[in-house]
Amino acid sequence: MTGLPLVSVPRNRPRLWLALLSAGLAAACVASLLFGAGSTGPGASLRGLLAWIAGLDAGPDDARARFVVESLRAPRTLIGVLVGAALGAAGALLQAVTRNPLAEPGLLGVSAGSALAVAIAIALGASAATLRVPVAQLGALAGCVAVLAASRVRGVGDDPIRLVLAGAVLSGLLGSLTSMILLFDERTADEIRFWVVGSLAGRRPADIMALLPGLGVALAIVVVIARPLAALALGERVATGLGHRPRTVRLLVIVAVALLVGSATAIAGPIAFVGLVAPFAARLLAGPDIRRTLWLSLPIGALLTVGADIASRLLVRPSELPLGVLTALVGAPVLVAVVRLRRLPGL
Amino acid sequence: MNHLAYDPPADTPSPLRAHGLTLAHGRVPVIRDLDLALPRGRVTAIVGPNGCGKSTLLAGLARLHAPEAGRVTLDDRDIRDFGARELARALALLPQSVTAPEGLTAAELIRFGRQPHQGWLRQWSAEDARVVKAALAAADLEALSDRPLDAMSGGQRQRAWIAMAIAQQTSLLLLDEPTTALDLGHAIEVFELVRDLAAAGKTIVMVLHDLGNACRYADYLVAMRSGEIVAAGAPSEVVTRALVHELYGVDCTLLTDPGTGAPMLTNVRRARAPKSASADT
Amino acid sequence: MWRIAARGHDGRWSILVDKRATAANLLLTGLLLAASLASLCLGSASIGATAALRGLFGHGDAMTVFVIRELRLTRLAAGLLSGAAFALAGCLMQTLARNRLATPGIIGIDNGATAFAVASVVGTGFGLAPPAMALAGAATATAITFGLAGGVGTRGYRFIVAGIGVGAAFGAGTQLMLARAPIDNANTAYPWTVGSLNAADPLAVELLAVGLPAALVGAGLLARALAAVRFSDAVARGLGIRVGRCRLHALALAVLLSALAVAVAGPVGLIALMGPEIARHLSSRRGVPLFGAALAGALIMVVADLVGRRVLAPIEIPAGLITSVVGAPFLLWILLRPGHRIGA
Repeated sequence: MTGLPLVSVPRNRPRLWLALLSAGLAAACVASLLFGAGSTGPGASLRGLLAWIAGLDAGPDDARARFVVESLRAPRTLIGVLVGAALGAAGALLQAVTRNPLAEPGLLGVSAGSALAVAIAIALGASAATLRVPVAQLGALAGCVAVLAASRVRGVGDDPIRLVLAGAVLSGLLGSLTSMILLFDERTADEIRFWVVGSLAGRRPADIMALLPGLGVALAIVVVIARPLAALALGERVATGLGHRPRTVRLLVIVAVALLVGSATAIAGPIAFVGLVAPFAARLLAGPDIRRTLWLSLPIGALLTVGADIASRLLVRPSELPLGVLTALVGAPVLVAVVRLRRLPGL
Repeated sequence: MNHLAYDPPADTPSPLRAHGLTLAHGRVPVIRDLDLALPRGRVTAIVGPNGCGKSTLLAGLARLHAPEAGRVTLDDRDIRDFGARELARALALLPQSVTAPEGLTAAELIRFGRQPHQGWLRQWSAEDARVVKAALAAADLEALSDRPLDAMSGGQRQRAWIAMAIAQQTSLLLLDEPTTALDLGHAIEVFELVRDLAAAGKTIVMVLHDLGNACRYADYLVAMRSGEIVAAGAPSEVVTRALVHELYGVDCTLLTDPGTGAPMLTNVRRARAPKSASADT
Repeated sequence: MWRIAARGHDGRWSILVDKRATAANLLLTGLLLAASLASLCLGSASIGATAALRGLFGHGDAMTVFVIRELRLTRLAAGLLSGAAFALAGCLMQTLARNRLATPGIIGIDNGATAFAVASVVGTGFGLAPPAMALAGAATATAITFGLAGGVGTRGYRFIVAGIGVGAAFGAGTQLMLARAPIDNANTAYPWTVGSLNAADPLAVELLAVGLPAALVGAGLLARALAAVRFSDAVARGLGIRVGRCRLHALALAVLLSALAVAVAGPVGLIALMGPEIARHLSSRRGVPLFGAALAGALIMVVADLVGRRVLAPIEIPAGLITSVVGAPFLLWILLRPGHRIGA
């Protein structure tokens, strides 16, 4: 938007919120670098961080702390930011395209499809490291197509809750199939068991590089379709009447969601509820227009994921909680809140 | 059936025409070989019994429904040759029973109407601001511009949707059952807005299920039955007892509205005996 | 068709029986007996039907008697009882919420029971036996769901979504405890996450053997009132039914049954959905097929366990996975049939 007068001032100052949230995210990232489950405390971490950033030379203790901060916590934090932002954006996109405030990649089976695809690939002998990202993206794509097909069945599209129920069932089914593969194949089970619950621990910088192409393409798509998608929120015929092509928009959204969720799932496992909570909070801050909620969903999702990751390290020290557990604990009450706050049809 | 010429009066060359239009749902034809020309700058109402194909026809006119055969022309150019945004600058459509995301305000909704005029590098201009303001004024919603649609009355909400279509700055406006689910007072709000828009030069087509309202607010009436046009012309000329019976299978008494000269239906009752065996096809 | 099945000779009492429901229940009973016999006969060492039946009554060689009575009969009993309990609980819950999707598994009761039971298994300091913990968990989950949803609502949907949220939170809690537990304890607890008869707790089976018949009697007493509650509260009140009390009793029964069944078999929640559905299709739509649902549920559980044991032997597929893979597409079909009403 330019400085020209709008008919009304954009509500609730989304740009202010964007700035505040970005500042919060930066603070969370610093905290994520400083706190951990291990023995390297905040003070030592801070010295290590300074040693890393400023290139200060220091004693052996600081060198150890620098290693922890630089090689363990920094990649982990970066992954948290990427995964959270990807899932937040994917949730906002999926909710806009299905016109359903409850649509969430984790709840609707998109993440479960991604996980199943990876489990199948590993069971068939693929090495986890090389193929995981594209395979996860393909699985997510299949999940997206299923969700969209379901949402376009007559009667289901107007009934947000039926879609969520169908998604929960689909998630359960795909999860069962994944469990079956794990039963048959011990090697797969060992490779995948800790990945299935969702975690950011123990990822390498090379894993991050593998995500960047997919996320870059998704970002480009999002920039192109934000405006038509906002019109699609008014209904397909209205969007057509405004000169958009709903089919093309929907197709692009599916591809973007699949890329985002597939990338996030490939590196962190299926993490539910971030895609529900982030757009929900963004709508509370900035109103219903996808052009604002989408950008706000990015820092909110990232903040949520990094925060949950910090909590997962601190709550049960010296061990760690799976990240998916924490997001579910935060997300479940939000799910209920969405249902209670909104006048959904059929309630 | 005898072929009738549905050409509008010569002083109003038609912007939107259907030529031999056939529309189908799946493989079932709904509209067969239909010719129609809509008068410029007038309000046209398409009426007929449920399932006669009037909403399908409107969708076909707006390129929402691809024809099996025939074509629709806008200013003598096939609408299939228009780009998506180009068509949206020439023809605005308000579908039936539209819903907006919760919390969207009237002004935000109306701003969507500017999308066909906006581009990648020109997302908001002084012209846009002026047009949105004018649309708010036209729909008499200036005081309500920041109110969420879900906090409005049905009539206000429908006027906001029409204002969005106004903001598209098209010469043609197609409305599908714009007063469904509105009570009498709110329906009148909408109809009077439609009349104002026609007076300002817009060509308006609306699908209505109420013949009385169609007679009262339309200049030109298109009566359909089973996918075919059975009569077209000024309401005072085409609405007869025989037409009402043919459309709805009811008997009635026709009066003339002393205020407007439009036909008024009264004493409507079920027909005693079916007029012909084919009345139920 | 209703007919009078029995009548006092002075005409002061009479019992109405639905012919089709009776036929359906007889059919289900026959299938259940056949499946039970198959379950006794088939295993790592197959035993002939005659030998199995003789072994059941203590005749034949000692090894056969041991395998039949100690191993397979216990497992069969666990399957019969838990399957019937799941399905009966599902039928009660569907009826009181007036929604065919409102089964204990979907609205989080199973997950609540599982989380509490796992807490006692992995030794987090709660000392009670798994059945008691499961009951506490089921009651807690129900109370939270009701509290969040503010009642059942007209079509039960808000209740269901609140339940999905609560279930997800409890499911996460279960994962959390399993992830933190030492690995051998976690293996003990693994059947809890998908549902299996492999490690059925004898105490839990005995409790269910007492609880299920009692619950069946209770459900039978509620059946007529529940049939009226299906229409609407107003109609039921007009027929002189105390709707609130009827709902409360049905809910208590459903929670009790779910908890006891989870303590035996883990969360095999989809049986609660499939059992009543099969019974409804077989019997007339007029009544609430409580008994038929219990029979169908027991049948599903026994067959699923049998299939899971045999199909890829020696690898055993947990019964919960079998019902999930078969039941989920069925549930999707219910949900996504165009223009279909889901109200029970």
